[in-house]
Amino acid sequence: MVTVVIVDDHPGFRDTARRMLERDGFAVVGEAADGASGLTLARELDPDVILLDVALPDGSGFDVAERLRVEGPDVVLVSTRERADLGPRLDSAPALGFIQKDDLTSDAIRSLLQQKR
Amino acid sequence: VRAAIVLAGLAVGVLAYRVQEHDLGTTHARAFATVAVGWAFLVAGLVAWSRRPGNRMGPLMVATALALLARQLRYSHDQVAFTTFFALGELGYALVAHVTLAYPTGVVRDRAERWFLGVAYTVALAFPLAILAFYDGTERLRYFDPRPRDSALLLHSDAPLARTLQDVYAVTAYGVLSATFIVLVVRKWLRATPRARRMMAPLLLAAAVAALRAVFDSVLTFATPPPVFVYDKLFWWQTAALIALPLALLAGLLKSRLAQASIGDLVVRLERAPPDRIREELAAALGDPSLEIALWLPERREFVDERGRAVALPYEDSSRAVTKLEHEGEPLAALVHDAELVEEPELLSAAAAAARLALENARLHVELRAQLEKVKESRARIVAAADEERRRIERDLHDGLQQQLVALGIELASERRRLSNRIDPDVDHVLEDAAAGIKRAVGDLRELARGIHPVLLSEGGLAAALEALAARAPVSVSVDATAERFPPAVEAAAYFVACEALTNVAKHASATEATIRAHRRNGALVVEIADDGVGGARLDGGGLSGLVDRVEAHGGRLRVESRDGNGTRVIGEIPCAS
Repeated sequence: MVTVVIVDDHPGFRDTARRMLERDGFAVVGEAADGASGLTLARELDPDVILLDVALPDGSGFDVAERLRVEGPDVVLVSTRERADLGPRLDSAPALGFIQKDDLTSDAIRSLLQQKR
Repeated sequence: VRAAIVLAGLAVGVLAYRVQEHDLGTTHARAFATVAVGWAFLVAGLVAWSRRPGNRMGPLMVATALALLARQLRYSHDQVAFTTFFALGELGYALVAHVTLAYPTGVVRDRAERWFLGVAYTVALAFPLAILAFYDGTERLRYFDPRPRDSALLLHSDAPLARTLQDVYAVTAYGVLSATFIVLVVRKWLRATPRARRMMAPLLLAAAVAALRAVFDSVLTFATPPPVFVYDKLFWWQTAALIALPLALLAGLLKSRLAQASIGDLVVRLERAPPDRIREELAAALGDPSLEIALWLPERREFVDERGRAVALPYEDSSRAVTKLEHEGEPLAALVHDAELVEEPELLSAAAAAARLALENARLHVELRAQLEKVKESRARIVAAADEERRRIERDLHDGLQQQLVALGIELASERRRLSNRIDPDVDHVLEDAAAGIKRAVGDLRELARGIHPVLLSEGGLAAALEALAARAPVSVSVDATAERFPPAVEAAAYFVACEALTNVAKHASATEATIRAHRRNGALVVEIADDGVGGARLDGGGLSGLVDRVEAHGGRLRVESRDGNGTRVIGEIPCAS
């Protein structure tokens, strides 16, 4: 089973995402509301995937992705904003991919994971 | 009055000549020389009086002249004339000291000098009166011909006492006081500014006179009478110096800047001068290039310079002095100038009077400028506050409503998938429509939030935000923008100009392509949006006119170049420090 950690400062989104992922066969092993605790969790739990919000209260999700680049889990960046609104940093971020939050489905994550293989 | 003074001076001079020649038995040359000293003071005093009416030197010199001439009448054989002028005659020498120490203002301010003059006048009046009280006409008087005179004020006949009093007077007045006078003159000279020193030749001349007088009388009092030619030489030196003294005083007074400055010219020139030229005009009129003007702002209760910056008035010392100007009892301005100008108070007050109106104008100008500056600052603050408010609203929309809708959409889609094979197709259709509706709402909200404040602008900078803007535009837009970051308000102004210009391109221009350029030029961020459309755009209508305020709030300007058929170019220049 694919293990996931959700890093997002909106508890409503974390709940919904957790329910959806667990329903679709993912194991959500942890949740964090900011970048720092997200990093700690990622190191402790070593999940397969991190669902990472681009805008976090203690900084940018891009910075967190940057720090997970080596030997870290696969990063899937999410945001309510559009790709175009996130600028060039999104294209250069060390992540598996980006999913706009209103397009988020378990299938979208699976297809990103498959693309990697 | 002056004609009467001239007549009196001539008459007393002729009388003095007669008395010396007839009663004292002096030679014609000596008698005339003594009268010439008085007349020199008289002429110089009258000229000074008419050329510098506000200066007390003129009247003082005239008084000295009359006193010196009248002094000679004490040699008269007539009892009343002798008594009167023996009693009062010595005041002439006190006046010579007075006029010298009062140079060049006509007023003695120094404490030591005032004390000295007080003592000098007292001694010059008290001793002759005391001598007259005891002199019984049995002996020859010092400095007189052998024939004794008759004192009308004799109280008690005491010839030895009268003789002693004459000796003591000679030592006190001509010895001690003369020496003190020399000290005061040298002190005055040393304390003067270098430029003023050059004008103080008369003082040194006066000191020489006093010194000669002191030598002359000490010799007479204590030594055995020296050969006649010694007296003779001393007399002529002293007379020459005494004639030169008033002329030198006059020359110094006329050489002063007041005589040269034309205050009338100043009034005319100040009338035409802009506020920032007042300083130069005043400096030129006063002959003091170092002059500074400080204007009093009653509202701020402080002095400011012509640009409205607060200035502290310097402490007065030997080189700088401050003259404060008032208007209707309220401070108006202060002139900070070379200390030597204090010696020409008439010049200062005349220039100040001439400049009063101009200074008031300058003060209004500064006040206006300060207020304008305040308005500008407050306008910039208002725009900045509005920007901050837009950022907050964008954040609230993003963190609140948008997140809730997104979560709702995910929930709905996920539920629908879970129930997919157990659900009525009609219900599923309704759920699908609801999910699509939520997605549209999220999209609309995103658009709204972006219009309020593009988050990419603050996070990615102007270039990234303009790229994103161009990507969404319905026509092909190329972007050439600096990667440099600017203050948020400057970036926001430039971004919204580009945003509004592109909206106009899309709505009205019928253009096929457009370009956005944003670069730093001459201390300003210049943003330029050009299209190849139909042109004819104007600044005074539509969304661009609203942006004029935003750009001008930062001290910038917005202009449109647009001719029919030749496309449109919108140029915004927003100053950015450093």
